[in-house]
Amino acid sequence: MIRLNQCDPAFKYEVAATPGGEGITTCFACAACSARCLVGELKPEYDPRRIIRLTLLGRREEVLSSPLIWLCSTCYSCAEVCPQQVRFTDVLTAIKNLAARAGYAPPSTRATARLLARQGRLLEVGEFENQKRSDLGLPQVEGAPEDFQRILGITPQAEPEEEA
Amino acid sequence: MELAEKQTPVLILGGGVAGLAAARELARRGVACVLAEREPVLGGRARGFACKATTACARCGACRVGDLLAELAARPEAELFTCAGAVAARRDRGRWQVELAPQPGEGAEPFPARALGERLALTCRAVILAVGYSPFDPRAKSRFGYGRVPGVISALELEAMLAQDTLAGPRGEPPRRVAFIQCVGSRDQSLGHLYCSRVCCGYALRMAGRIRHTWPESEVSFFHMDLQTYGRAWEEALPELRRQVHLVRAMPGEVTRGEDDTPQVVYSDPAGRHHREPFDLVVLSVGLRPPKAASALAEMFGLEPGPDGFLQDGPEVFVAGCAQGPRGIVESMDHAARAAAAALRLLDSGREAAHG
Amino acid sequence: MARVSLLWVERPGLEGLEPAAVARAAGVELNSGGPVEAAVVTCPAEEAPEPLRQRLAGKPVQWLELAAEVGGGDGAHRLARAAAAVARAAGRAELATLPPVYAPQPAQKVLVAGRGLAALAAAHEAALAGHPVLLAGEEPTRPGADDDPAEVERLAAGLPAGVELASGCTLLRLAGAAGDFRAELSRRGKESFGAVVLAPGGETVSCEAELALDWSWVRPLPELLASPPAGEQDRWLQVALLAGVSRPTTAGAFRRAVEAARRLQQGDFVQVTLFFREARVASEGGERAYRAARQAGVLAVRVPEEGLVVRDGGRRLRWHDPLLDEDLELAPDVLTTAWEARAARPEFLDDPVQWPAWEHLLPDNPRFSGGRTAVSGLYILGPLRGTPPGADRRAEAAAAAGDLHRLLSGGEVAPMPSVRHTYCARCLTCVRTCPHHALGHRVDRIQPAPAACQGCGVCAAECPAEAIAPPGWSNPELRAGLQRGLALAPDPKLVVFTCAGSGRGALDALARQAHTWPAGVLFYPVPCAGRVGLALVLKALELGARGVLVAGCHHGNCRSVNGNLRAQLRVDQAARLLESLGLRPEAVRFLPLAANQPRRLARAVEEMAQEVAP
Repeated sequence: MIRLNQCDPAFKYEVAATPGGEGITTCFACAACSARCLVGELKPEYDPRRIIRLTLLGRREEVLSSPLIWLCSTCYSCAEVCPQQVRFTDVLTAIKNLAARAGYAPPSTRATARLLARQGRLLEVGEFENQKRSDLGLPQVEGAPEDFQRILGITPQAEPEEEA
Repeated sequence: MELAEKQTPVLILGGGVAGLAAARELARRGVACVLAEREPVLGGRARGFACKATTACARCGACRVGDLLAELAARPEAELFTCAGAVAARRDRGRWQVELAPQPGEGAEPFPARALGERLALTCRAVILAVGYSPFDPRAKSRFGYGRVPGVISALELEAMLAQDTLAGPRGEPPRRVAFIQCVGSRDQSLGHLYCSRVCCGYALRMAGRIRHTWPESEVSFFHMDLQTYGRAWEEALPELRRQVHLVRAMPGEVTRGEDDTPQVVYSDPAGRHHREPFDLVVLSVGLRPPKAASALAEMFGLEPGPDGFLQDGPEVFVAGCAQGPRGIVESMDHAARAAAAALRLLDSGREAAHG
Repeated sequence: MARVSLLWVERPGLEGLEPAAVARAAGVELNSGGPVEAAVVTCPAEEAPEPLRQRLAGKPVQWLELAAEVGGGDGAHRLARAAAAVARAAGRAELATLPPVYAPQPAQKVLVAGRGLAALAAAHEAALAGHPVLLAGEEPTRPGADDDPAEVERLAAGLPAGVELASGCTLLRLAGAAGDFRAELSRRGKESFGAVVLAPGGETVSCEAELALDWSWVRPLPELLASPPAGEQDRWLQVALLAGVSRPTTAGAFRRAVEAARRLQQGDFVQVTLFFREARVASEGGERAYRAARQAGVLAVRVPEEGLVVRDGGRRLRWHDPLLDEDLELAPDVLTTAWEARAARPEFLDDPVQWPAWEHLLPDNPRFSGGRTAVSGLYILGPLRGTPPGADRRAEAAAAAGDLHRLLSGGEVAPMPSVRHTYCARCLTCVRTCPHHALGHRVDRIQPAPAACQGCGVCAAECPAEAIAPPGWSNPELRAGLQRGLALAPDPKLVVFTCAGSGRGALDALARQAHTWPAGVLFYPVPCAGRVGLALVLKALELGARGVLVAGCHHGNCRSVNGNLRAQLRVDQAARLLESLGLRPEAVRFLPLAANQPRRLARAVEEMAQEVAP
């Protein structure tokens, strides 16, 4: 039993105000997106329409804490067919950002974010890699990610809670 | 080449249901009019529509074309031309000067009209535009497979088949499983068509019922978002239709080619379950778009375009039928009466002679 | 008996037929210009040259769709068919026993009873058509329930000269038909009118009147819009808007509801939940309004098939969401509903003797558009008729005015039925069975209304005394035609009655394809299948036909409302009679079809021809 009175009507506005989430409210539940979703075909619990409906109903915690929202493969099949231009892939990005801010980013995503913040790239570059590079005549790579951190607006040593 | 000249109180462009109804209204009041239809035959799109009666009339109105033609045959006030198209128009001292040119085309005898043989310069007080609609081209919604997947047809093609009392799948045999997909080209922000074409639920449900009635071994599924059918007759008919036809509230994601070259409809049902269902025939219920001539006519007659590209009334120009917006056959006839009445008011106020 | 001449008019489809040979075979004289007593012409009246029509004015003439009845085939076959058709027509023409009928002048005044856009537009259009109009009602110029007040004001301000406005004046009783309606109006007494338009303005009624809501707690939507409520940051105001939950509502009501929902949603901390079965977006601008409402944050909930569970008069709403596979519950702070314009049926129409039942008065028949009802000259417009998605009150009014003008203008001589009062037993069968209510009983005589008869001939089929018929369509004339035609048709003879509403169109289409009919088929066009009747079916069989096929319109498509049903009943009755006599009931059949179903007619005729072959 879901009691609408206990849901959060402001949640959909929160998503709509997040970049990418503007189209969330225009969905009219035609089911075209669900039909095309590749992930949904393999994992029936994952359904774009269901995520949208829970968002519109205002089930903030349920949506943000759901592990399902991280399964999107960003194939854009849904956005391609949506007659109302909801652009669900981008809506889901917005929801994921909100989820990350709320502390629900899954460990893998957090690890990825940490690596990016710390070194500006996913793959760590150490002595071994630099040796290989000099053997091939490539310049050395230093581990200073200051430019990247400046763009992201984070201080070098802080744990990235912000962007997922 | 010299232009033949003619005067008439009212010129009607378009000889479909709306144009014929407008001519009939004027003729009933003893007012002369000239009707110009581009095609070689009268009746417009409705002429090609099938009767969709099962055990009772399905109220589509297709048979009303015959009524209109029969009445107009007996009313000499209405002069009807086929193979006639408007190529230029200008206003001159409170009158319209419209030039009609003969259009190519051969067809069955156009009685009660005659084919326009020469260019004609027509002077008239009022013009009624009854140029109809243009069906949405389903290729613009490529995910439904029109032109790509065998067995995908548009609703107009189905009308033509039913009018010949046939139903043929991609290999020529009667299809056992038929799917209707609604709202193709309508209610679609991504196409810029943010309106409902109003008549598609009705026409498709009628055809679905007719198919089940005439080919009882067939199975019919109907994919829709909402149902726009209205009125007591539909309220009475829907429960039985729900038993005959499988109504699914879902827009298919796509239509793909199945293993045996038949169309497969991919959809997610209201409970979120995925389906990849094979059919023999998939019918796309295409929406009603503005007529192809809309922008040319708007320019010719100095009209402001309507919100979705349809035509709107202008000074001494009145739009009748689907040219103004999607509507059914019977509605178009009433709408044409309104245009005719507006033209009559104009004539009345100008103290025009009733017979031109 | 008049002498019948054949007047040959060359037409497509008659090529290869020798006029003299046809005349000889049919047993009539071929006319080449001399005087004519009665005539059979080989083309329909509207296709005949004007000089010919003038020459034949005032004489008994049978205009034949000869090309349609002859069809294709070889020379001998076509000659035989032509001869049979001409003979049949001659049989009718030579009798011409009914005297010409002159219709009394129909009353020209039009009564428009009601208020609002539909009534005002009807008054305008009828006056424009040249008829004096009485616009009567409690407040005729007050807008109707779903009218645009600005448009109503414009129409009210510009009433044409021929319109008399009577306020505080309601229609109490009504009787009669086109050309002779007798109305009783409050404060005015009894008056006679040629046509009557009923256009009550309607009231705003909640579309959820059937739900068990606590109506003292439900807020009317206009009231909410006048002073939109607001919630608080930590306690949002929940508004539930029911827009077609018990059953789908009208497109107009839905559009008003979504527009209201959007306005209400814009209040601070207000959450509107819109409930409906179907999103009725088929009106102009409906889809846009629906999208705008959702964009603003309105929650659109589609009520599942099993419905919305309403508790505590609406204070708790519960439904099952199949996608989430959960029950959802909302306890709204404010509940409101969409509203429809509904008009109450006027009480005087409840009289079962005077008026048909409502479903028959307003048939769901595509031929009855533009406000027309089964009763000629009576029109119903506005919310009383209904509010379809494209409801255009002005268009309906214009169409109604055009139709009533056609009836009352007397431009065409109305085919008034002719009554032989010495035969008439005053059983009132004709009065009761006339689909157009064209017949009344006054001063011990059957009186046709001056402009109501549509010439269907049902009265002639049903009258047990052969005392009434539209001119030219009496039983004796039809029998004479059957006799002459059947005498010439080869065996196996099959009579096919085709009605003007469907059969004619089908025959024309087949004629254009030069369709070849079986040899013994004799076509008999009738105005309505209801004209055929039991006696004529049996007479055809008696005169040598092995089978009788009556082709009429589909159920619900008859131009005379139920003429086709009568035909079906009489054919069934004939079949039962045949069976009781030990004969084959399959010899008689009723075929419903439409004018655009030529193949259906061809197939049925083929089947019957084979059925009755020896």
